[in-house]
Amino acid sequence: MPELDQISQGIGENVARVDVQEKASGAALFTDDIQFGSNLLHARIKRSPLPHAIIQSIDISQAERLPGVKAVVTGADFAGRIGLYLKDRHIFARDRVRFIGEPVAGVAAISEEIAEKALDLIRVEYEPLQPIFHPLDAIKPDAPLIHPDLGSYEVVNFIFPEPGTNISNHFKIRKGDVERAWAQCTAVVEREYYIPHIQHVPIETHVAVAQVSHLGKITLWSSSQSPFAQRDLIAKTLGFSPSDVRVISPYVGGGFGCKAGVTMEALPIVIAMKAKGFPVKLRLTREEEFYTNFVRQALVIRLKMGCDQAGNLLALENTMYWDGGASTEYGVNITRAGGYSSTGPYDVPNVKTDSYCVYTNNIIGGPYRGFGMSELHTGIEQCVDELADALGMDKVEFRLRNVVQGGDTLATGMTMHPTGIKECIQKVAAAVDWGKTSKSTEPYLKRGKGIAIMWKAPAMPPNPGSSATIKLNEDGTLLLGIGGQEIGQGTFTVMAQLAAATLGVPVKAVRIAKPVDTDYSPYEWQTVASRLTWSMGNAVLAAAQDARRQILAIVAEAWKEDVDDLDILDGVVISRKTEKEIKLKDFAVYGIPKENFEGWIGGPIFGRGKFMPTYVTGLDKETGQGKRAVVHYTTGAQAFEIEVDIRTGKLHVLRAAAAFDVGKAINPELVRAQMEGGLIQGLSSALFEQMIFKEGTMQNPNFVDYRIATTVDLPDEMMTFIVEVPQDDGPFGARGVGEHPMVPTVAGIANAIQDALGIRMQGPPFTAEKILLTLQSQEEKKG
Amino acid sequence: MINPFPVLPEFEYIRPKTAEEAIQFLQSHPEQARPFLGGTDCLVALRNRRISPNFLVDLKYLDGFQDVIFHPHDGLTIAAAVSMNEMIASEPVKMTYPLIAAAAREVGGYQLRSRATLIGNICNASPCGDTIAPCLVYGGMLAALGPDGKRCIALKDFFLGPGKTILQPNEIVCSIRFPLPPAGSRGKYLSIGRNALGDLAIAAVTILAFPDASQPSGYCFRIALTAVAPTVIFAEEAQRLLSQTPLNEKTLEQAALLAGQCCSPIDDIRASAHYRREMVRVLTGRALQQVWNALQKDVQQEGGNG
Repeated sequence: MPELDQISQGIGENVARVDVQEKASGAALFTDDIQFGSNLLHARIKRSPLPHAIIQSIDISQAERLPGVKAVVTGADFAGRIGLYLKDRHIFARDRVRFIGEPVAGVAAISEEIAEKALDLIRVEYEPLQPIFHPLDAIKPDAPLIHPDLGSYEVVNFIFPEPGTNISNHFKIRKGDVERAWAQCTAVVEREYYIPHIQHVPIETHVAVAQVSHLGKITLWSSSQSPFAQRDLIAKTLGFSPSDVRVISPYVGGGFGCKAGVTMEALPIVIAMKAKGFPVKLRLTREEEFYTNFVRQALVIRLKMGCDQAGNLLALENTMYWDGGASTEYGVNITRAGGYSSTGPYDVPNVKTDSYCVYTNNIIGGPYRGFGMSELHTGIEQCVDELADALGMDKVEFRLRNVVQGGDTLATGMTMHPTGIKECIQKVAAAVDWGKTSKSTEPYLKRGKGIAIMWKAPAMPPNPGSSATIKLNEDGTLLLGIGGQEIGQGTFTVMAQLAAATLGVPVKAVRIAKPVDTDYSPYEWQTVASRLTWSMGNAVLAAAQDARRQILAIVAEAWKEDVDDLDILDGVVISRKTEKEIKLKDFAVYGIPKENFEGWIGGPIFGRGKFMPTYVTGLDKETGQGKRAVVHYTTGAQAFEIEVDIRTGKLHVLRAAAAFDVGKAINPELVRAQMEGGLIQGLSSALFEQMIFKEGTMQNPNFVDYRIATTVDLPDEMMTFIVEVPQDDGPFGARGVGEHPMVPTVAGIANAIQDALGIRMQGPPFTAEKILLTLQSQEEKKG
Repeated sequence: MINPFPVLPEFEYIRPKTAEEAIQFLQSHPEQARPFLGGTDCLVALRNRRISPNFLVDLKYLDGFQDVIFHPHDGLTIAAAVSMNEMIASEPVKMTYPLIAAAAREVGGYQLRSRATLIGNICNASPCGDTIAPCLVYGGMLAALGPDGKRCIALKDFFLGPGKTILQPNEIVCSIRFPLPPAGSRGKYLSIGRNALGDLAIAAVTILAFPDASQPSGYCFRIALTAVAPTVIFAEEAQRLLSQTPLNEKTLEQAALLAGQCCSPIDDIRASAHYRREMVRVLTGRALQQVWNALQKDVQQEGGNG
């Protein structure tokens, strides 16, 4: 094999996105663009108006008789439960409903209008049950059970439900002896934080089209981060074989986690099973997107942290109550991730963690960029600031003293790999002139600085696989087959760069085979967890190496040379010994003729590669201890300088700095785009975003009242820094960075507010009104 | 709202050729027909089933409904179907009635403003309608047309409550006319939303002030408040104070306080009544300061020139 530096051409370069022309011109195909002709049926869903109730009866007879209606489906049609980690959800509610918006019946009709009319004709009688809207109410001993049958649900072996309670996962860490450690602490801080529900708000709402053939094969076209996981889950739930289900996923108009797993996609499938042959389309309205799909679950986090006189962290007690909502099929693993990462990026000798996933009658919590880490760090990073304050130590110095380093034994017992978190901290602190104060232009504008740091591991089952194929075309270009999704993050470009560099062709010679199609694309677990660059990247690297081996073997045989003397540069195979050369396009498919018409050498070239981590171990149920909890951690830091108008409460970010250790930036511009985009999304959740519920009903399911940051809300200046401490098993040393940049933002802003105004806010979002009211109540206390 | 509707309900779209025809249609279909301009409020209300007309009567294409007419002596007339973007870009609005342009820029986003109209914003009669207050301080007069012919309605007499006006169901508003702003007038529009752009106003303050020798203070102030009462209101006590008391920092502060006291805001999902009242006080104080600074500068310059 060639040396790394020989094949790393184009790695670390700002190659233009391979999808940019398609997307800028409007040519890019999204699920809703696919035409199905006049056979298309439109589905609408009858949803529960109650947060918790027994379904006494459903009468669909009138709806079925409405002209134009082709199928009406209820929970009576499908008994099975669906779920990624814990099978606790019916596709259509059966015996009871558990949140407002839960699907109760579905209709397919020749138009959306008729489907809508049919919904009105469906009569459902409910017997209301006592609803629970807060996780702390749900864990009370006398709380009604939301899932009385929890003990009988199928669950993966690393999730621990507590049947007979509303707790669907309890993750524990017991390391050292926290009780004894408190006595040795000079400073101890105890705090509780509440982080509310927020939504992903992708520009493209969920949309799926399903067709069930008379032969019993299912085809699903969906806007999806997880075509393969959807195939597997849906097939198993409905009693099909996964290979009888085909999922086709064109470009995705924003995911952020909400299009992972299965949310609404099973609905049109089960409706289509009653209208065989017809494609059935379900397209969510923005309101449905808000209150019927996965959201980021709320969290109550109680922290107790202590350190010695020198500022060394000695102990941490972390108790998290996650508001999992009515189903926690995916959410249970968020609470596990929150558990095993519960120290934040710190070296703490004594740790006691209890992470509870709690059922409530709220909307279902699911994966959201960061997978629990934003919520966790919102608590940890404020608490650390307060601890540094209690000791009178500089907050940057305190962090530098305590951050996790390569070789440290983590709270789970895993040994930490080398990481550049110290460099990240130093970079962002310097960028905002940490330690210096700057003056505002008006007496009523107060300035402050804040810093927050983070870590996150890809949160997955231990064995999520990736695979890739490379097919050489007649023109010397190559078709790269992958099952991961382009959801805006730029993965198609990064994969093209990895394939091109490894094989020895220009990036423009790489075509991505799309749409992702489970019948034709190689397997990929899911486009989640910031895992593609690392995991799918490794598979692409392996496929490119496989194709390269085949190419060189053909040419070596034809030229009667040693493969070690051959190389591929810019799409041309060359011999370093004889200086002969041949273009890939001259033999890629048809091979090379032997001399004197004595036959041929070669044939179509097809490379294949795979990757699966094989080294992740289980963790002990009682102590959370194990040899290796996760594959690796990406770390990073953010710092902010803000200005607050103390008369209106308006907060403005003057400077924001972000630094993340990505191992190796395959495409620095895309890494910076992730750092900026994540920071903005984090800022939006820090200042504006909150799903407001009243008795389980969302009060702001629209963009009038669910505000998200726009361009004019951005920091005046955003500075990004790439730190590269290589990952031992990453392609060219790369690690993922898709989710991480929004993780520390809320805490960073909260810490800056504290610095500017001397106040600690109750919890995000830190709206102008909340800041002003907090200031006023503080004035009154002083008054 | 459990099950949002993906599609609009059925209705018939009527495109009359003349304003008279439009009136006739509205009169012959009481409670079934609704006039329709840009549709930015109407279509949302339709989708949410807040209104259910059988007919939408489109006034956009009527003769003269697209005009912006400015007479150097008589003032400005903006017809009903002029889009906010057209209005913002028009020279007389920018130069002579800048508060209207400033407020219109706060309405939704650019795309929406290509459809939204000033008259539509007024007739929707929302207490948080951004453009209403500037139209009030400039002394806007609506030209309405009904079965009995034309009538002029002073904008200040137009609103009855949220979504309610004195307009009859068979009447339409054809245009709004503004006299020339008083000589030497200075103004300021300040609003606050939850984020920096595109939000409905939590509170907004519009001030127009000009030299008036008949007032003890030598100035007349018009102060209109948005989103803090059932309709957009004038802060009358603050106006009175500013015309009758010698103007200084203290008077301005007191006037801001009076403005905060005169409104009757509500608690809703966007803001608490308390915060709204506070913002009226703060925004009024800031706007007054800026307007007062501009007026003083004018005096100094006149003095210098003389």
